[in-house]
Amino acid sequence: MTRSLILSRSSFGWSAALLLVLLLVPAWAGRFTIYILAFVFVMALLAMSLNLLVGHGGIYQFHHAAFYGVGAYTAGLIAAKTAWPVWVGFCAGPLMAAAAGWVIGLFCVRLNKLYFGMLQISLGSLIWIIALRWYSLTAGDDGIHGIRMPELLSGSVTIYYFLLAVVTVCLLSLYLVYKSPFGVTLRAIRDNPQRCEAVGINVRRHQLLAIIIATFFAGVAGVLFVVLEGSIFPDMLFWVLSLEILIMCLLGGWFTFFGPVVGAAIMVTLRTFVGSVTEYWTMVLGIVLILLIFFLPEGIMGINFRNWSRRRSRRAAARAAEDTDAAG
Amino acid sequence: MKKERFFSVGQLLMWAGCLLAVVMPAAAEARDIKVGIVDTYSGPAAVFGNDALNGFKLAVNEINKQGVLGGKIVFTTRDEQFKVDIGLNVAKELVLKENVDVLVGTINSGASMAISEAVAKKEKIPFIVWTAKSENITGKAGHRYVFSTAENTAMAGKSAAVAFAKKPFKKFWIAGDDYEYGHAIADAIWRNLKKIKPEVEAIGRTWWKPGEPDLIPYLTAIQAAKPDCIIFATGGVSMANVLKAIKTTGMENKIPAWIHTATDHSVLKPLGMNAPEGVMGTIQYHYYYPETPANKKFVADFQAAYGNPPGFPAFNAYTTAQLIAGAYRKAGKIDKEKFIDAMEGLKVDTPVGKVEMRACDHQAVYPMFLGTTKISQEFGGAIAADIITLQGDEVMPTCEEIAEARKQK
Amino acid sequence: MESYVTVSGLISQFLVGLSRAMILFIVSSGLSFILGVLRVPNVAHGSLYMIGAFVAHTLAMAAGGGAAGFWLALVLAPTAVALISLAAERLLFCHLYEREHLMLLLFTFALALILGDLTKITWGADYRSLVAPPFLQGSVMVLGTPFPRYNLFLLAVGPVVALGLWLFSNKTKVGKIARAAAVDREMVGAIGINVGRVFAFAFVLGCFLAGLGGALVSPTVSITLGMDHTIIIEAFLIVTIGGLGNMWGALAGSLIFGVSQSMGILLWPQFAIVFPYLAVVIILTLKPTGLLKSVW
Repeated sequence: MTRSLILSRSSFGWSAALLLVLLLVPAWAGRFTIYILAFVFVMALLAMSLNLLVGHGGIYQFHHAAFYGVGAYTAGLIAAKTAWPVWVGFCAGPLMAAAAGWVIGLFCVRLNKLYFGMLQISLGSLIWIIALRWYSLTAGDDGIHGIRMPELLSGSVTIYYFLLAVVTVCLLSLYLVYKSPFGVTLRAIRDNPQRCEAVGINVRRHQLLAIIIATFFAGVAGVLFVVLEGSIFPDMLFWVLSLEILIMCLLGGWFTFFGPVVGAAIMVTLRTFVGSVTEYWTMVLGIVLILLIFFLPEGIMGINFRNWSRRRSRRAAARAAEDTDAAG
Repeated sequence: MKKERFFSVGQLLMWAGCLLAVVMPAAAEARDIKVGIVDTYSGPAAVFGNDALNGFKLAVNEINKQGVLGGKIVFTTRDEQFKVDIGLNVAKELVLKENVDVLVGTINSGASMAISEAVAKKEKIPFIVWTAKSENITGKAGHRYVFSTAENTAMAGKSAAVAFAKKPFKKFWIAGDDYEYGHAIADAIWRNLKKIKPEVEAIGRTWWKPGEPDLIPYLTAIQAAKPDCIIFATGGVSMANVLKAIKTTGMENKIPAWIHTATDHSVLKPLGMNAPEGVMGTIQYHYYYPETPANKKFVADFQAAYGNPPGFPAFNAYTTAQLIAGAYRKAGKIDKEKFIDAMEGLKVDTPVGKVEMRACDHQAVYPMFLGTTKISQEFGGAIAADIITLQGDEVMPTCEEIAEARKQK
Repeated sequence: MESYVTVSGLISQFLVGLSRAMILFIVSSGLSFILGVLRVPNVAHGSLYMIGAFVAHTLAMAAGGGAAGFWLALVLAPTAVALISLAAERLLFCHLYEREHLMLLLFTFALALILGDLTKITWGADYRSLVAPPFLQGSVMVLGTPFPRYNLFLLAVGPVVALGLWLFSNKTKVGKIARAAAVDREMVGAIGINVGRVFAFAFVLGCFLAGLGGALVSPTVSITLGMDHTIIIEAFLIVTIGGLGNMWGALAGSLIFGVSQSMGILLWPQFAIVFPYLAVVIILTLKPTGLLKSVW
């Protein structure tokens, strides 16, 4: 019940304001700020796509980075190795990722929780091994760098706006997915799979569809990374990155809409700014996480929501009290 | 009265402002040179990152006693955690935010190549790779803004090939880490060895995952095939595992083995008296050889400052610092393009003698030392013995080969 | 390479795989135990394994580096790891048992980050290497192929640990309670047993095994930062294919991992890395909750 919050009306206002600020950033910010924000956009989209499964679907997608990598490698290889226009790669990336998501999903949806997660890690790692071992195609662990983008996407400000536009469209689409009857069913499955099964919902088909949608957006994030950095390398498909994305979701608040975005922003900022002061930034991250677990168990974005629900329940209680008073 | 005084303060400020405006350009001329270091300071490769940083610090302290162009060399470090994406993040931070004049680093070939393309080439900022050994960095992926002061896989492979050609081995087994470094080094040896001595034969190849903890099964299988010599294309953590496995399987002194940097003391020291003997290794630096005054001084200073002798990353980084200082002195001003022009063909003094930054491919020319591990009571462990020096021009790919490789790309 | 495969080579390869499986078993049985009793996916398990190896090295060196030092390290290093985990459990973990699985995963991840950096601060980045006592060095001939003595030792230790765990969980009261708590923790709480203490005990025992694995593996590998990464993913995959929380499952999983990898080297060396993952895929596709009965 408490977890079905999506996005309240006031949040819409906030999102519009945030978007406006982000649109104006290149006017005053330094080049590094523009770059790191663009990097946050990529990570945010990646985390958001995972959260469709983890937060809304209750699906333990433990190796989400594999699909991010598939999207990036598809776009990157098409740009680097073929004469086709890069736009072909941009479209093929997410589609390949979704296809990989569908195939791996077929294997995994029959399994529950941790079993699902571990099978998914294994299958995703097989893709990672392909990226790592197919030297003639992928250049192995060195990866391919300096992938050229069209003139249109060469300036850092242009890239920033391109990424911002794509991520905004993707987040809007994800929002529509959440609001749709499909999204409602997905959350119902998360909260009570047995009951859903009993009322005739095809649980596995819903989960598989969610996986396909999520991996598609992970593929989009992969393509955006190639646009931003011009590099592809096997670490993009390594399980460590998957764990990091999962942490972004949990950190920001996995039962909220914007939680993963906030989580991604915090992770990248911590890494960049604490990392420039001390080489022990991972310890700082660890301590932040532990404080969070103890004091903000719903994640950072969970605070608003908790206050809001407390207020609402207090109001409801007051109303109930009034009713009894009136009755008395 | 009061008003007048206020006015005079304003006047003073104005004069000061004018003075500053006149002095400023001069002061800018004498500013410090900012070096940004991107390297691995966490995980298994951190040992090399720390060693390189110490070598760099030592050189910078020496250089700053006289200063460079009236200023000093200052540096700031970033940990890329052996990850390409973090490497790109921090390299861009150093360039776009910290405005460093030169980027140096890293041990990770993938990160080095990514930074070379996305930062050095794009932002037109010189980038000197000091530990990563991929020959592609200054080979087919080389360009104006990237340099290397690391010995690369092509050099290591060619030096091994030159050395093997003089030995009676015919049947080789190639084994190593299944990643780019392993394959690159094996390819470099094989293509050079085949050229010099066409009758050699590779009777088998084995690749294991980098960092594979248990190599005994692999070595047992190789032993059964009885090759004349085993080429181990391995490095980092796997190296110590290979050496341990050579000892445990009783292969030492039975089948000759070669590993690039097997004679590195950061690898041999932890093994102590249990290091295998008779393993051949190539490396560009030993702290105990050559026994020249320059090397002795470097080692003594390093030991005094950091408590342990310098390894090859420290040597590379020391050379890098000397090159940076030398190039700025030669260029006469802090300018990126002039710096690059000055770097090309620059020769500096290092603990092993003069080192040249080759103009055609931006690769530092190092002599290579081929040694064989031998237990020394004096050192409390294995060191390289019977060291043969292979001159730089003997082990480097030629400028024509480089030009050819770059054209193919 | 195929042409060099001999029967004795195959057997020695198999034995090496088995001895590798023993280390994997010791580490993953600890992980499985914690998963079973506490329902916690302990990501910090790998860090404790790494700390076990580092502590073992420090202790052995402090004791002079001889055989006595090795045995001392083998006993004290896991104990030290157990103490660290006890502190973490009492100070932090014990307040979190009612939380969501993913939150516990987040907690253990945070713990892994902190322990990883603490290891770096304490021991630095240098490679270390522990020396086995003289009578465990070198190799003996097994069917005409040299086989390392230390691996024989591991082959002996594995079953001893398995037996110990079996005796503990079937013959002692605490063990029986822990097993019961794994199946139904409310029930155990309802009959008046202090579940918190059982949980603490289970967590510490599991971590002790991680430390033991680290100490045991240290003579065969370089002790370095980053050791935690390689083992943790293997351990998780092993407990999954065995059946979460099932100790015998961890044993089965370890054997499959160890042997499939060492045999994979002979059959298809280029792709030996694929075999463990492939094993997981095949097993979980055929048996979605692992080979043996899972408590999950």
